[in-house]
Amino acid sequence: MRRRAPVPAAPPGVNRRIILSFLTSAAGAIGFAVTYGLGGQTQWEGVCLAVAFAGLATGLAIWGRRLVPAGGYVEEHEGFTPPPAEQALTAAVLTAPDSPIRRRGLLAALGLALTALGVAALFPLRSLLPWDRNRPVPARRDTPWGPGVRLLTADGKPLRPEDVPAGTMVGVFPEGGTGAGDAPAFAVRMQPERFTRPPSAGHLAGLVVYSLLCTHAGCPVRLYLKGTGRVLCPCHQSSFDLLADAAPVAGPAARPLPGLPIELGPDGYLRAGGDFTAPPGAGFWSRR
Amino acid sequence: MIVDRLARAFDDRLRLSPLTRRALAKVFPDHWSFMLGEIALYSFVALILTGVYLTLFFDASSADRVYHGSYAPLDGTTTSAAYASTVRLSWDVRAGLLIRQTHHWAAVVFVAAILVHLVRIFFTGAFRKPRELNWLVGVTMLTLALANGFTGYSMPDDLLSGLGLRIIVSVVESIPLVGSWLAALGLGGEFPSDEMIPRMFVTHVLLVPAVLVALVSVHLAMIVRQKHSQFPGPGRTEHNVVGSRLYPSYTLRSLALFLWVLAVLFALGGLVQINPVWLYGPFAPDQSTSPAQPDWYVAWGDGALRLFPPWEFHIAGHLVPAPFFPGVVLGGVTFLALYAWPFLERWCSGDHRPHQLLDRPRDHPVRIGVGVMALTFFGVLVVAAGDDILARLLRVPVYDLLNVLRVLVFVLPVLAGASAFLLARSLRRGDAARLGELTRSDLRAGRRPAPAARAATDEPELPAPDRPGERIELWPEGEVWRWRYRDEPAGVAILSNRVVLTEQEATEAARLAYPGVDHVTVPGPPPPAPPGRVRAAVRRWGNAALGVAVLAGALRQRRASRRGKGGNGPAGRRGGER
Amino acid sequence: MGAGTYRSTRRRWQPGRAVVLGAALSLAAGPAALAAPADPTPAGSPTPNRAGGARGEELFRQNCASCHGQQGQGSQRGPSLVGVGPASVDFQLSTGRMPIPHEIPQPGRGEPVFSSDEIAALVDHVGSFGGGGPQIPRVAPGSLTAGRELYAANCAPCHGATGSGAPLTNGWIAPPLYEATSVQVAEAIRVGPGLMPVFPSQVLTDEQVNDLTTYVRRLGSEHLDRGGNPLGRLGPLAEGLVGWIVTLGLLVAAARWLGRRAGE
Repeated sequence: MRRRAPVPAAPPGVNRRIILSFLTSAAGAIGFAVTYGLGGQTQWEGVCLAVAFAGLATGLAIWGRRLVPAGGYVEEHEGFTPPPAEQALTAAVLTAPDSPIRRRGLLAALGLALTALGVAALFPLRSLLPWDRNRPVPARRDTPWGPGVRLLTADGKPLRPEDVPAGTMVGVFPEGGTGAGDAPAFAVRMQPERFTRPPSAGHLAGLVVYSLLCTHAGCPVRLYLKGTGRVLCPCHQSSFDLLADAAPVAGPAARPLPGLPIELGPDGYLRAGGDFTAPPGAGFWSRR
Repeated sequence: MIVDRLARAFDDRLRLSPLTRRALAKVFPDHWSFMLGEIALYSFVALILTGVYLTLFFDASSADRVYHGSYAPLDGTTTSAAYASTVRLSWDVRAGLLIRQTHHWAAVVFVAAILVHLVRIFFTGAFRKPRELNWLVGVTMLTLALANGFTGYSMPDDLLSGLGLRIIVSVVESIPLVGSWLAALGLGGEFPSDEMIPRMFVTHVLLVPAVLVALVSVHLAMIVRQKHSQFPGPGRTEHNVVGSRLYPSYTLRSLALFLWVLAVLFALGGLVQINPVWLYGPFAPDQSTSPAQPDWYVAWGDGALRLFPPWEFHIAGHLVPAPFFPGVVLGGVTFLALYAWPFLERWCSGDHRPHQLLDRPRDHPVRIGVGVMALTFFGVLVVAAGDDILARLLRVPVYDLLNVLRVLVFVLPVLAGASAFLLARSLRRGDAARLGELTRSDLRAGRRPAPAARAATDEPELPAPDRPGERIELWPEGEVWRWRYRDEPAGVAILSNRVVLTEQEATEAARLAYPGVDHVTVPGPPPPAPPGRVRAAVRRWGNAALGVAVLAGALRQRRASRRGKGGNGPAGRRGGER
Repeated sequence: MGAGTYRSTRRRWQPGRAVVLGAALSLAAGPAALAAPADPTPAGSPTPNRAGGARGEELFRQNCASCHGQQGQGSQRGPSLVGVGPASVDFQLSTGRMPIPHEIPQPGRGEPVFSSDEIAALVDHVGSFGGGGPQIPRVAPGSLTAGRELYAANCAPCHGATGSGAPLTNGWIAPPLYEATSVQVAEAIRVGPGLMPVFPSQVLTDEQVNDLTTYVRRLGSEHLDRGGNPLGRLGPLAEGLVGWIVTLGLLVAAARWLGRRAGE
């Protein structure tokens, strides 16, 4: 065995504290294992693991603070601007007569080839776009609503006018497109004489249907403040006045909710007279 | 001694000992603020550790799946596989909820620690030459951390995060010309698309973490290469680093911090519920919940969206919607400003010299003014993101609060920035050591326009060469050499961080660290330790230092004997081997 | 937070100065016109009606009439109670929202002032002003999963998916639901107190109301907070605040402790 310098004696009590910390840690680890084995309980698991790590941390911290020298050492710092001569030497190696970077013509050709390859490599990115509908903008404008599409409730049942009494809000979906992200709408019944601005999509004896998506950032404006005739967006607190053709009255939204023209079908159920009066949801460049 | 022999076996093949010795002796400044970045680093490690566990249970798919498990309100409900697997992870996988919550808490703490670290770097001017590169790397990591935080928050496909995702999609769509295309490119269809979750998953667990790991490595490598900056102090110059060595002191301290971070994160993960997706329910395009906000680190964007007035305009018949300004422009300007700051400041101040010594925050009133202004601005935005909760707590109408915040978001930053600027100037001109000691006359001095000369920048870079009592002492310890810096009147003695083999090496190192200071070679044993605070440490650990020297000597002897030159070290002789 | 918020507005009942005013909106927009025909005795009253009309009249005169009028016809200080229905009266009284000592925009939940017998007597007495209005619903245990889906579609926008409640405009709030009994939840669904939309049987069937009340009751259970302290179920910003307190209070402090030897 090699002879080593003797380990300096620790200040009184330090060793004991460190060992105690490590033992606490071990107890925490065992506690975690036991908790897990007994079926697991999130709070106990968390506390046991925390104790295990905290014990280790405390022991090491005491060790680091009390048993090893800290501070009072200096390391030299060479600086990071090399002497000009050194820079010049390196530059000379790189720009030697036979250096590839001196052959400008070849480099230009190489650059051309690499550029072409780089551009070609961008083409597969096109696959990230959906293929089924080629252009995003028309897709963004179209919704599953259209002439004759029946209004369904969340249960999937077709909606009759009497299913929407005053004072309530009923979520409606297009038949055949209930899952679409831009389709959700809501139906409410207002008193026609209270309209301060007639609904642009018309109404059936006060029954109006609007897009559910806020025109600010697209959150569903499902907060209906009965009596005030207003709906509120939970995300940024835009509110819309259903008595004034869903015009924005407060908050950051700038455009009214698009309305959905509705008519009564021969079967007694409500159906759309067309698509929304404008693309639903947040604004975009080609929305106009 | 298996470890010993293994180490030697590697060293004999790779010649690691010179490198290792240098690395272990690397000096870290002792100031606590140098460990803030480490909190972020260790949170990141916790994120990776817990995140890997989560990937084993999370099913990144929007395909339908029926949840069957112990959460009764969802039992038998058809949801996306992503949501169902997250609920399963939370309710039916043992320790799953702990790991999931710890992961989320680690993300919250990660970004907070990055921000604290960034603020320290900013106010002390640590981003100045030669560390601009590392500032850029750091800011990039911040953006990636935000992005990954957001994808992680959105992946469980719950109702709350679905609202957030929809908002982000709307913000992207608001970009003129390309918005709709970008959104379609990212989603692979209209929101909510089937490709959305798998793509976020790949980004969240593969792309961004890989880049983050690479950047963390670059960040650390650059610190090793450039060495730490340090605060000014006795014996500290632009040419050295004073502090504790990596081994043993900093290793223990840093490990302790790592384990403490883990302890705190697991305590949070076990005791404080975060993102209870089972309560939020699965995402559905027609459903919403309130109050709705994102995680705090993107809340400034949400706050800006709330505060920005309903202004939209048309360009040639095309719409520029309202979210474009608070969402895209503000975010872009914020990160552009962060990236550009080191260069902007250099350009404005004309200071092109490299700096290894840090500013105290007060040394640069303009910087602290701008920094406090920006922090206040973003602070108000974060508060604005909770305006609904705040309105409820204060029992005031939310729109009144909104209008107040719309004013405060401009007034408060200016006020805070101006006061920070004035306070910094008062501190700098007066002789108060800290904020509490400022006197009225100091404040008056701070209000007056700048005095003629800018004393701070004309300060000589080096310690005055003729400073009496300052000297370098070199001495042999057995076969090796050591040196130290000593300022007798000030009671300061700073030991070289490592022993070297020749006197010439020691002289060179000392000359690099303290150019212009007289050198004295002390023959024989090391001179007595000086008085003062450091003395105790030096005396107490003189033995340890000697031990290191002796070991290094022994190693050298052994190498020499292998080469057949023979010779026995004074203390490194091995008995019993072979 | 929720409990403290509404308790702060609650006034203890003091019979001596029982000037009780009604809230303008809380009963005004009741769905009187749509409801079923009148039924003078509430079928689903929680307690048997034995106090008789005299007791109800007495209580009404002392506590309600100053705002709602002697015949419940309403006044400038309180809305008409004619035809609001037993469910509405029972909801307002059993949740302690009525009576209130002075006019406030949105009375909050509190300890009920009257005993269940007294409430039943008042319900009867108000019913005598005029028929109509929803009856006090009979609730039965329903399906938790169906209730969750109905809750997410109809209730979560205002009351929050976690049931913690949320602010609306003008200082109105959608209150937290944790303390509501099943009957009160069902009453609120059928009546639509205040700004809350009303959900008559065309919109939600009785079974659906049962499902909803079952889920809402479950939402108040602490068993759902499997992850630890729910922070009021307020969401990410509350979590962020805790994250910051912990980062600064435990982690930065630890760094400071570990690095204290610097002598800076």
